[in-house]
Amino acid sequence: MTAKRAAPARKQPMRKPVAGTPAWVAPSAVVAGVALLVATFLIIRWYLTPAPPPPLSSDTTTVVVTQITTLPVSEFDSVGQGTANNLLKPVSGTPMTGVTGKPEVLYIGAEFCPYCAAQRWALIVALSRFGSFTGLKTTSSSSSDIFPNTPTFTFHGATYTSQYIDFRAVETSDRDQKPLETPTAAEQQVWTKYDPAGSIPFVDFGNRYAFSGATFSPDLLGGASWQAIADELRDPKSAQALAIVGSANLITAAICKMTSDQPATVCSSSTIQDLEKKLG
Amino acid sequence: MALPRAQAAAVLISVAGIGISIYLTAVHFAGVVPACPASGAINCEAVLASPYAVLAGSSVPTSALGIAWFAVSAAVWTRPSGWVQVAWSAVGLVGVLGLVFVEIVLLGVICLWCTAAHALVLALMVIAVAART
Repeated sequence: MTAKRAAPARKQPMRKPVAGTPAWVAPSAVVAGVALLVATFLIIRWYLTPAPPPPLSSDTTTVVVTQITTLPVSEFDSVGQGTANNLLKPVSGTPMTGVTGKPEVLYIGAEFCPYCAAQRWALIVALSRFGSFTGLKTTSSSSSDIFPNTPTFTFHGATYTSQYIDFRAVETSDRDQKPLETPTAAEQQVWTKYDPAGSIPFVDFGNRYAFSGATFSPDLLGGASWQAIADELRDPKSAQALAIVGSANLITAAICKMTSDQPATVCSSSTIQDLEKKLG
Repeated sequence: MALPRAQAAAVLISVAGIGISIYLTAVHFAGVVPACPASGAINCEAVLASPYAVLAGSSVPTSALGIAWFAVSAAVWTRPSGWVQVAWSAVGLVGVLGLVFVEIVLLGVICLWCTAAHALVLALMVIAVAART
């Protein structure tokens, strides 16, 4: 009798376990790739951001301010509205007067704000046709906002005198966004009424016209020195003159409406008269 | 039949994206400022008022493109996950990276609402890739 041998169990071939990629790897790679690209963008931005220009000495500031506040009449007439956007809207309210009882131009802005930085150039040029500033200092907009380090002046600490109008400026924050000045309750009311979004800069012309925002892009001034911008204003074909002087002409026309076209030496020019008609 | 969990999440995310894009489009056409800080590195107003906020040579806001993209995404995710979802999400992600480049490098400010929409596109890409693996 032959012993029936049990058939040996067939040896199963050893299967090498498949080392599959864990499911979390691919999604994590997507997130990591995006994070890497965003980090690269931040580095590029940091590399491209110009350093804030050092403020000018008071002597040099005086030279620049004198240069931009004594532009010849022919410059204003050559530029007209230039490339400035007419943001001025007629408003109806109780005529606003200032501390000396004259029609008041109210400006609300902030030193960090690049749009305020751009608009101040035009305001200074225009207001200087009706009076004079003292104590203007140079500064630049925030380094961490859009259009960083836009060169400008600050109204904080400056005074303005005119026989035709009063000018009231409120710089709510410095360039580091620390509180600086506060509008009065009446000023806050006007601001809220004509600019419910609370945008800056906000400019009110005696409650006859008002606008908020900049009438030209701060990009035009980026990377330039105060002196270079002041020099460009003397060339009526330069991009800076077309924007800043054009904006100044619009502001001048609005002020002339407030002052019943006084002084005639400023307000009677055909350029200003044409812009007054445009303002409505 | 109920959708698998990943698909359902993707559809919900797409609908949220449509909502954000509609809000940004409405804000554009109404000419009002979105509910968002307006100073410093986060500034929706600066981004949405920039020339990059509209399709080149038109007055159509970029967010309108977002509505279309998220709507297609919602439709695509009602089908079982596959390469279609990965491809569509990749298209969206490339667009998002372009917009993030504009925000960070060219403008230097971030729009919170836009970033929320961008995060949703990234989430959809992650779900699409995870579903495939």
